[in-house]
Amino acid sequence: MNAAKFSLAPVDLAETSISELPGAAVAASERESSALAALVCDTAGQELRLLYLFRKRQAAGWHALSVLLRPEQRRVPSIVGPLHAADWREREIEDLFGIVFEGHPRLGDFVLHDERWREQLAPMLPSASLSDSAPVPARAWQPRSVLRAAGAFTMPVGPVYSGVTESALFLLETLGEDVLRASPRTFYKYRALEKIVENSKPEDALLRVERCSGTSAVAHAWAFAQAVERIRGLVVDARAQTLRVFLAELERYRHHVAAIREICESTSTLVATSQASLLEEELLRLCCDLAGHRYLFGAVTIGGVSLEIGAADLRRALDRLREIDRRLIALEESLRYSSGFLDRIEEVGIISFEAALSHGLVGPLARASGVPDDLRSSQPYGPYGTLVFEVPTESEGDGYARLRVLFSETKQSLRLLEQLVDAPEGAAPPREEPAVAAIGWSETPRGACIAYARLHPDGTVARLHLTTPSFANWLGFYVAAEAFAFQDFPIILATLDLSVAESDR
Amino acid sequence: MSNWVLRGLRTGIKSTRYPRSLERAPGTTPGLPASTTLGSAADAEALASVCPTRALQSLEQEVRVDDGRCVNCRRCERRAGARADWRDDFEWAHAPTPDGPTLELPAAFAGSLHVLVVDAGDCGACLSELAQLSGPYYNMQRLGLFITPSPRHADVMVVVGPLTVNMRDGVRRCYEAMPEPRRVVAVGACAISGGVFAGSFAAGDGVAGAVPVDLVVPGCPPPPLALLHALLVVTGRAAGAAPR
Amino acid sequence: MTALFGDPRLGLGLALVACCIGIAACAVVTERQAPKAIAYAGTAGALGLLWAGLLGLGGAHFELQLWPTPLGTLHLALRPLGAFIECLSALVFVPASIYSNTYLSRYYSHYSLRWFGALYFALLASVALIPLAHDILSFFIVWEAMTIASTLLVAFEHRRQETVEAAFWMLGMGEAGTLAALAGWLWLAGAGSIDFDALAAAGVHAGPLACLGVFLLGFFGFAVKAGLVPVNPWLPRAHPVAPGNVSALLSAVILNLGIYGIVLTLDWLAPNLTTGMGILVLVIGAVTAIVGILYATIDDDIKRMLAFSSIENLGLVATALGASIIFELQGLPAIALLARVAAFYHLANHAVAKALLFLIGATIDARTGHRDMNRLGGLLRTMPWTGAAFLVGALSLASLPPFGGFVGEWLILQSLLRSGEISAIGVKIVVALVGATIALTAALAVTCFAKAFAMTFLGPSRSGEAAPAEAPRGERVAFAVLATATFLLGVLPTYVIPGVAASIAPRSSAAVADLLVPPFFQPTRADGTAALPPAFVADFHALGAQVGKGVVPGRGLVVMLRGGPRNPVIFAMSMTYFIAVLGTILALVAVLVRIRARRVRRAPAWDGALPRLLPELTYSASGFSNPVRVIFAGILHSSLEERRERIAEHFRSAILLTRHDTYFAERWFALPIVRLSLAVARALARMHHGRLNAYVGYSLATFVVVVTIGFISGALAPR
Repeated sequence: MNAAKFSLAPVDLAETSISELPGAAVAASERESSALAALVCDTAGQELRLLYLFRKRQAAGWHALSVLLRPEQRRVPSIVGPLHAADWREREIEDLFGIVFEGHPRLGDFVLHDERWREQLAPMLPSASLSDSAPVPARAWQPRSVLRAAGAFTMPVGPVYSGVTESALFLLETLGEDVLRASPRTFYKYRALEKIVENSKPEDALLRVERCSGTSAVAHAWAFAQAVERIRGLVVDARAQTLRVFLAELERYRHHVAAIREICESTSTLVATSQASLLEEELLRLCCDLAGHRYLFGAVTIGGVSLEIGAADLRRALDRLREIDRRLIALEESLRYSSGFLDRIEEVGIISFEAALSHGLVGPLARASGVPDDLRSSQPYGPYGTLVFEVPTESEGDGYARLRVLFSETKQSLRLLEQLVDAPEGAAPPREEPAVAAIGWSETPRGACIAYARLHPDGTVARLHLTTPSFANWLGFYVAAEAFAFQDFPIILATLDLSVAESDR
Repeated sequence: MSNWVLRGLRTGIKSTRYPRSLERAPGTTPGLPASTTLGSAADAEALASVCPTRALQSLEQEVRVDDGRCVNCRRCERRAGARADWRDDFEWAHAPTPDGPTLELPAAFAGSLHVLVVDAGDCGACLSELAQLSGPYYNMQRLGLFITPSPRHADVMVVVGPLTVNMRDGVRRCYEAMPEPRRVVAVGACAISGGVFAGSFAAGDGVAGAVPVDLVVPGCPPPPLALLHALLVVTGRAAGAAPR
Repeated sequence: MTALFGDPRLGLGLALVACCIGIAACAVVTERQAPKAIAYAGTAGALGLLWAGLLGLGGAHFELQLWPTPLGTLHLALRPLGAFIECLSALVFVPASIYSNTYLSRYYSHYSLRWFGALYFALLASVALIPLAHDILSFFIVWEAMTIASTLLVAFEHRRQETVEAAFWMLGMGEAGTLAALAGWLWLAGAGSIDFDALAAAGVHAGPLACLGVFLLGFFGFAVKAGLVPVNPWLPRAHPVAPGNVSALLSAVILNLGIYGIVLTLDWLAPNLTTGMGILVLVIGAVTAIVGILYATIDDDIKRMLAFSSIENLGLVATALGASIIFELQGLPAIALLARVAAFYHLANHAVAKALLFLIGATIDARTGHRDMNRLGGLLRTMPWTGAAFLVGALSLASLPPFGGFVGEWLILQSLLRSGEISAIGVKIVVALVGATIALTAALAVTCFAKAFAMTFLGPSRSGEAAPAEAPRGERVAFAVLATATFLLGVLPTYVIPGVAASIAPRSSAAVADLLVPPFFQPTRADGTAALPPAFVADFHALGAQVGKGVVPGRGLVVMLRGGPRNPVIFAMSMTYFIAVLGTILALVAVLVRIRARRVRRAPAWDGALPRLLPELTYSASGFSNPVRVIFAGILHSSLEERRERIAEHFRSAILLTRHDTYFAERWFALPIVRLSLAVARALARMHHGRLNAYVGYSLATFVVVVTIGFISGALAPR
């Protein structure tokens, strides 16, 4: 690493050492009750840098701890005890970079499955040899079981199961009646997105970030674009910002309707599923009509948006959306009085407020458990600082609470869209100082996404790290899926709304 | 209870009339670039160089499209200079090579086809389009197409995603568990050529790396109508596009 | 010569001589040769017994007055009921003896096989003599011999603590039952002769109190040996610890003797039985059946599961006996006979099928070293014949056609369904409810045996051990004999029913046979009269009831209960035709499959694309039956004793659950009595405080009391 001090825009960075790390991490999390937002491992010349990024909950602002590891230092104390949100983040870095987090009880067989990859591959290190064509001696996969009882066994669900579902393996431990413990095994869909984008142009990297999770492409692309714009010191004009918000809120509306459809489908409420499916298809056609692609691919670019949409088009889209919203409200009313439906999703997959906080959950999942966390209001980006909207929360933390949050957020999205159509052109935001590395963030439909980017001097991507909301929220699965009847399993999965593609990257 | 029945009846029939008539509603397909003839070879080369996945090849003044690589980024359509022509149809499914084995299943499957969907690393967009097929607008069951969870009952395996290393064995085992006659349909640019993830150490260059592919459906993601067309091609009720 | 071969005494003599030779041989031969001696002599003796029993069923009988005693002359006689029991016992002893040849080798140098042989033959002799005993003294002499021999055989592995405990339970409860039964019979005899004929006459004249007393003592006394609730806690303890062939004998022979005792008591009291007694027998039978099958379903130890299944089946037999009493008292003699036939048919089925399953269980135990179904699995691959035999036994006990258990269960349920013809409302309701309970029992039996077969023989090996080799030929011969017997009992009911009828109602056996097996092959009797209405016969001949006439012997192949004019046929079925048609269809299908050969590709089982399918990812035996355990938790009272969780740094790293199952009859009936006895004993033990003066005082007090009683009785005696 060159002699210049490493800086991360717009983060308040503090250097610390390996031995002081646990104490410093706890102190950082207690500072204005911050949440661990991301754990990034980046190369710094011959050394490795660990960045523990924290987000203040009650005020705007980010701060981080940076630990430099010399080449021979590969053991770091784990902070998973005081900060449980670090669980999967440390496991991912261990698999991809080879750093051992001492004290973490569950390392290994995470991103790189035991039976497919050889040991100690550490593919994200620059020195990793990945073009090894020799056949890999397969290590046997051995599931870790928690339940010890005579006659206890594990029901495996997946990775190929049910109808149109993402590939993930669930191990349901049971005595034969109720499932006492469920463990997920993900990363069957690991595409090494962060490795592919290295040394490519940010515009090309943006394509991959969009397709990290196709159903929330705009939000992820916006987060990455923000990071790159911060690094380059670019200013996005107000018109482009307005369009970005419009498309992002439209995407959020469509995603929530799709999630509502999946919840109805999991409870076999067939007419409600069809009604929601109609709305979802109409929203997809609306997006395609407005921006040329049903999932809004290619709309957000570095520095702005790639297409011009006139005010008349926006107004027409908004009219169609209002009509769709009327039908969505009618659907909500009907579901509220369907006792069979409510029986199935109430008191299912409960996540308590304390669990949501300590596990670092984000998005509608956390808001349904009472954690009022929304990046649009706590860390405003783009024009969100000037727009008026609420952050709906519920307190029960069960499936029905999460459904209610989804419905409420669609109303807030419509409210935002209405403010955008007639908004006067605002003043351009001030130009920022260029930096070497920066973070960008956005509130995707599933929760907070944070993109860490560092560019080479020639402008290509040196390192990209995406902390996606589904990756953070998988920890909620362990809490929600405990001691439940097997028939409730699809409902728990549907109400948690976790995207495996988003989490696996 | 009765509330739902009335609501359903009041909504009426929303299904598309495809394949009896070509669906033309706006927003049903994002389209793909079409082969374009430009003014000069330099223009053609400039246009072809814009594509991030090398889906455009310039040949003299003509720009040809390898639709299996197109990821719908729209750079060729929204650029300042010469633009690519755009096709807004959706009947894109075709055999991967011109002289492959028989594509269609025997006639017995024409009215009843069971489809197994395997996710080999898809971003979620292709799966979402597949999920729309069961909805009222596309209603695949009226055409005798059904989704089944087990390969033992499946006639067609639809694979989405660029075939990650962690799923390669799984896809292979799904294929082997299917009884014959069986067909494999690769849906989406990722499944055909790896899409934007081609070249990754953890993902492959398409599904053909593990199982023989009988039909490809280009697009990123291909719209539900393209998927319906593809399944009809497999049952012999529709004609596939010409293979590239 | 024919007279000689037609005399059952020859067969019986052969059996007893074989036992004596066997005992003598076991005293003389070496340990290695003892199993062979047991096998040969045991088989010979059992075959002789079988032959004698069949002759007895055919009508031959004899009487033998042995030496006189102060209490009465010892009297042996072969009656049809006894002959039936002899047949059953012999039918089980033959394969058990063949099996012992190879099975006992596992006890070499651990325990004495010569003692085993001696006890084995003692058991065979006593079992042969019990149905012959015709007076109380000889009966209980042989009964005690059987009890002692069986207890010592059960306690064969005497160095293990649990074996000795189980043997004590068996002996203690067995002796208590024997005493109660003896007291009851002596009460019935009163001051008269102890001969069974005299007891039958006394039963006719017994008063209501005596009748009730004798009934309770006799029924509950023999219910101990028959394994009925609540006096059966010894049975699930005894079976797991006994050697394999002894378990088979215990369940298939000795339990039958308990029923034999109950039937004797009920037959003597028949003229004076009340509906209440019938309902008591019925309800106890039903409770036994449901409790037995529930505990069997949730148990993972093969032998204890089979023990509980025996309890269930004996409960079904008791239910049928109770039903027959009730129907008789309600004025429906035909249905009473039907119920009685059903009871004995089921007894026969259970004996044969249960013996088969116990022997196979013993083989599995010997081959794999344990009996835990949670750790077995996949045995069918290396033990196909054993597995096929187990399947036959399991299907029979699950009451599925075409095996014997189906016919027995069918007849029992059909008799209970006749409750509609009872006039007394209360009785009708009770019988109907019992019928529903028995139906539930049958359903649970299917679950239980599906679990037993699937978890033991199918699927992967759950413990990861290598699959054991196939059983040796001798054992497979034994399995084949029993499996064939089960099959024949299932497809030839029309031959078995007349035999059973002969044993239970010798005087009217023709009427019983007519009742259930209409003579479609011989519609006109020898004297020219029509056995059945000609129009009826013509209808059924049109349906095919004459198929097989002239080809197979017998009266016909249809089991049918005829009703009144409004409902001419209450039920009808023919297992023989069923199996013939089924066999033809299967053969046709096999031929067609061979002709239209298609390419078959073998692929591994579909497991959802798991990395590999491990045994712990498949259903375990406990898991399979856990829903039953949860639903019936109120009855079973199996307690989840401990749940410990280890949580480290938010990670739940272990959840430990231990479960302890107790048999409720043991907890609520036997143990309180034991505790009460111990408390009484402790109170009385205070007399033994060691002071010599007090002991002398006890003697003096006793002397004074006895002299006083003598004076008073002498003074009161009439001159």
